[in-house]
Amino acid sequence: MKISRNWLRQYVRIYASADELMRAITLLGFEVEGVVNTGLPPLDLVVVGEIKTRDKHPNADKLSVCTVDVGPAHGGVRTIVCGAPNCDAGNRVPVALPGAVLPGDFKIKQSKIRGQQSDGMMCAADELGLGDDHAGLLLLDPAAPIGALLNSVMPEGDTVFDIEITPNRPDALSHIGIARELAAWIKLEVQFPEIKFRGKSDPAPRPDILAGIRVDHAEDCPLYVGIAVAGVKVGPSPAWMQERLKAVGLRPINNLVDVGNYVMLELGQPLHIFDAKKIGGRQIVVRRAADGEKLTTLDGKERALNSRMLVIADESQPLVVAGIMGGASAEVDATTTDIVLEAAYFRPQSIRWTGRRLGLASDSSYRFERGVDPHSTLEAAYRAIDLILETAGGTVAGPVIKVGGDRPWQREITVTPDYIRARLGFSIGDEEIRQSLESLNLAITGEKKKDEGFEWIVTVPSYRSDLDRPIDLVEEVLRVYGTDRVPAAACTGPALIDGDDDPIVVFNRKAGDYLVGQSFHEVVNYTLRAQKELSTWVSDVSAAELGLANPFVDDQSHLRPTLIMGILESLKLNQSRGVPVARLFETGRVFMENNGTVQECVAVGFVLCHNPKDRAWLARPEPDFFAVKQHMQILARQAGIELDQQQLVPVRGAFWGWQEGHSAAAGEMNDGWTARFGLLNLPMVRNLGVEGRVWAGMLAVLPAKLAAVTGHRRYQPFSLFPAALRDIALVVEAGRHAAEVRAELLKAAQASTGDGFAVEAVEVFDVYQGQGLPEGKKSVAFSLSFRSAVRTLTDDEVNVAFTKLQQTIAADGTMTVRG
Amino acid sequence: MQATLTALLAKATAELATLKSRADFEAAKARYVGPNGEFTALMKQMGTVPKEQRPAMGKLINETKGQLQVQLDATLARIGDAEISAQLGPAIDPTLPSPDAGPGTFHPLTLVREEMCRILRKAGFTVVEGPEVETEYYCFDALNTPADHPARDAQDTFYFPEKARFANVTKRVPEEKYLLRTHTSSVQIRTMLKGEPPIRIVSPGRVYRRDTSDATHSANFHQIECLYVDKNVTVRDLKALLDYIFASLLGKDTKTRFRPHYFGYTEPSFEVDLSAQHLPKVNKEWIEIGGCGLVDPAVFEGVGYDPNVWTGYAFGMGLERLAMLMYGIDDIRYFYQNDLRFLKQFA
Repeated sequence: MKISRNWLRQYVRIYASADELMRAITLLGFEVEGVVNTGLPPLDLVVVGEIKTRDKHPNADKLSVCTVDVGPAHGGVRTIVCGAPNCDAGNRVPVALPGAVLPGDFKIKQSKIRGQQSDGMMCAADELGLGDDHAGLLLLDPAAPIGALLNSVMPEGDTVFDIEITPNRPDALSHIGIARELAAWIKLEVQFPEIKFRGKSDPAPRPDILAGIRVDHAEDCPLYVGIAVAGVKVGPSPAWMQERLKAVGLRPINNLVDVGNYVMLELGQPLHIFDAKKIGGRQIVVRRAADGEKLTTLDGKERALNSRMLVIADESQPLVVAGIMGGASAEVDATTTDIVLEAAYFRPQSIRWTGRRLGLASDSSYRFERGVDPHSTLEAAYRAIDLILETAGGTVAGPVIKVGGDRPWQREITVTPDYIRARLGFSIGDEEIRQSLESLNLAITGEKKKDEGFEWIVTVPSYRSDLDRPIDLVEEVLRVYGTDRVPAAACTGPALIDGDDDPIVVFNRKAGDYLVGQSFHEVVNYTLRAQKELSTWVSDVSAAELGLANPFVDDQSHLRPTLIMGILESLKLNQSRGVPVARLFETGRVFMENNGTVQECVAVGFVLCHNPKDRAWLARPEPDFFAVKQHMQILARQAGIELDQQQLVPVRGAFWGWQEGHSAAAGEMNDGWTARFGLLNLPMVRNLGVEGRVWAGMLAVLPAKLAAVTGHRRYQPFSLFPAALRDIALVVEAGRHAAEVRAELLKAAQASTGDGFAVEAVEVFDVYQGQGLPEGKKSVAFSLSFRSAVRTLTDDEVNVAFTKLQQTIAADGTMTVRG
Repeated sequence: MQATLTALLAKATAELATLKSRADFEAAKARYVGPNGEFTALMKQMGTVPKEQRPAMGKLINETKGQLQVQLDATLARIGDAEISAQLGPAIDPTLPSPDAGPGTFHPLTLVREEMCRILRKAGFTVVEGPEVETEYYCFDALNTPADHPARDAQDTFYFPEKARFANVTKRVPEEKYLLRTHTSSVQIRTMLKGEPPIRIVSPGRVYRRDTSDATHSANFHQIECLYVDKNVTVRDLKALLDYIFASLLGKDTKTRFRPHYFGYTEPSFEVDLSAQHLPKVNKEWIEIGGCGLVDPAVFEGVGYDPNVWTGYAFGMGLERLAMLMYGIDDIRYFYQNDLRFLKQFA
């Protein structure tokens, strides 16, 4: 909202500089978003001069040499070279004397122009900071005294502040509102405009102008005031009013419309003026629209209304979308002679709903939806009548018609100064608290004795309905006291508080520390992705569950089910910018569909890119599945999951983000976690425009699963006797998983060991396929380690066990011992 | 005999010095001290020495044997060292770069977040997390935001369709909608509903606004918020915390200022400005950095705390904005593009 300093001065005697005013407004709680200075800035050594003579410059066609009288105090008549077309003798013009500094830090000096002495400069408007007119010299009033400072003969400039008003302060959406606040700050009184018309006289009704007002929907319109004026003359509003309106960015229209706007900006009450002859049946009806009813608003658009929208109508049709915008049909125009002034209070929620629904906003709706003060509505109507009679003539026709608004305002808050001090945490005297409150018209109208000390009864003015609890007064006291004066203090040491950092935070930290230690760079990507991207990673059914109801842009319509797509985008960006990139990771939330519901998971994802174009002086092996598995194993452990105790299955089917045969999955959302890792699908990576092969992994865990990772391990004793080692190679189907073969072997080995000793470890140490083995078979070699907790094992007993083991294997049928 | 021994030792010494490999050494060793070695043969001659000379001669042989053994040991050690040396390649050029990936880096938003958490931990705050998909209750109702408040508008907040079901976020009433949280204040509500005061938490996290992306706005961004609930918490305590945070984070010459403001969940409410001359782009101006206030009694009532007993303060700010200020970054989108030339500057 724009506020003019000159306008404010009508109500409060403020003479502070623009900077001081800005600081005051800011510290009162209103953010100043812009400041514009208009008019002539204060200028030293710029005076009124009269051109005495004008001669052509001997050495330049377009220049003149003038003599200019600037008054005896400034050296009398001077010679000044001038290029303006209108530097004619007799004109009084602004003269910048040597030493003057014009806007833009333009310093005026004595100089020679094409060989001619010039003793100052005559100025055009733009050179003085007044707009951009450079057509000629600024011509002054012929009566302006020669030698007077230009500032003394020109109207004073204005400063216009663009102020953001928080939604709790609709009372500040006017010049009076801001004046009240500033008056509290600088401890001055507010001078309200004098109101002459008060509806006291009771003229005879004029049903020919306004027959009546009917409010059908009092809930949305608790107060409606209508006043008819007959015999107005539509024309331009007076210059002073136009100047005020223009200063705050409004275009003057005519005296009636301008009065409506002026009073709204002065007092905060939106008004509407009808041409009486356009009100069908001279009857105003405040009602809800019928579904499908149409109204063409002032902006020329036809609006389809519905039955939740309040309208001001005549006996047959809607004229105005109540409180928001007038219709084209009942507006004041050049032929208007009789009018009806409307001043009303509409329920904010109703205005807000209708405005949003119609996509329609105005200065009026802005105020109504934040809440105007219904107890000041009548006062504003009277003010408008004064100004209408003053600027458009006419007489009030008929009595003031007021419907509703019967409930008087009454609000008191009981508070003690001790309470205020206790919330503030610093000492401020009773008297200062009292003064702060009273400067905001929060009068202390009573004092009650209490057990210890006393309580104040604070009476709240009607325009401050935002205040209704003692805590609200704490802020008021502090605002006037100055929020910048809260004294510094030491940050006090806390009592110990239960709890530790959230397991999610702890997991993210551990995962990040590990991956950064492994040369990964952390990236951060958006959560919302395009629907079409999702099909690479999840089924269409899943994707459908991840969609927003109201996306803002199409390519950010769905929650991400994986971090990998974002990381790939980062990978691609770096590659395309020629930045070498190999290892990236991200931690963040992903969203997994599972049996028709979505679960928000904590996730960590990483990629390793092998780009053959990245050259190095010393070759290193390309990353492979098992490098990725190693990273995944470590990350999983940080989430409390031992990956090598989990069933790993190849990624297959719909999830073609992963390369079949070169990637694996573990975990189920039903268990609270899932992991995918391995090589990313080669065609997908190529289609994305990413170069090289990309290995990746992502672990997603439910927060509840992380929370369960607690407690300390118990120590398990271990044997101090030596181990006995045996190797065995098993020939199995080439497609069979090593883990399955190992599990069989382990089972057989456990069954073979005798009393007092056990299999301690079974590890793969070689895998072979090819010459010497039948087609479709492979050999997996294991080392077995036997150990006893109580003695050194003899070769004999181990050999017996090993032989038994081999027999078990031979009997299995699916594998043979390689000779 | 003595001359023979001396000559043999001299011969062995000379030969051993020329040996290069372990095999040669073993062969030479056999020639001297093996079963058929020259020295072994001399020792076998002891029997032919006259009895009275035997003690002297025995001593001489033992001495010579000892000297020979020293020579053998030294030679073996020399050959062993040479073998190890042979395993090394030529001397390296230490100035060549490692072909492996260089140090990893944390994202600047992580660095700023962790720095804030570290600072707040010293003041007794523990870090809590909450879901990014929230319900209207946690995001708005419990924070004293009325049903028709503009912040709840579908124009500003991302909602999910009515049929959407989130398994690990529970609705309080069936009618309320799921949404993407617009601030991390929802975590304050979850924390207060879970336990009793005193509470001292910091909640960093990702939040969403339905807004155009430009140099200063992003479809999602991050906030960090503090909540302290205890008896007798004051405006001055809040100011003290903020002074402590920013002096720790940005240096001792950092100043903070409160400006009155309005938030539904705090009363009184303030915006926080800071000034720190050494920061790029800040100069002498006050820069808005966050919002704060005393927890509104209505919020306490909503979570079942007696507002006559408990008081508290809350403070929140945008992490991107803070990071931009700290590092002098002028476009928020850089955080989400992940150009490595950007990312590597901060770790």
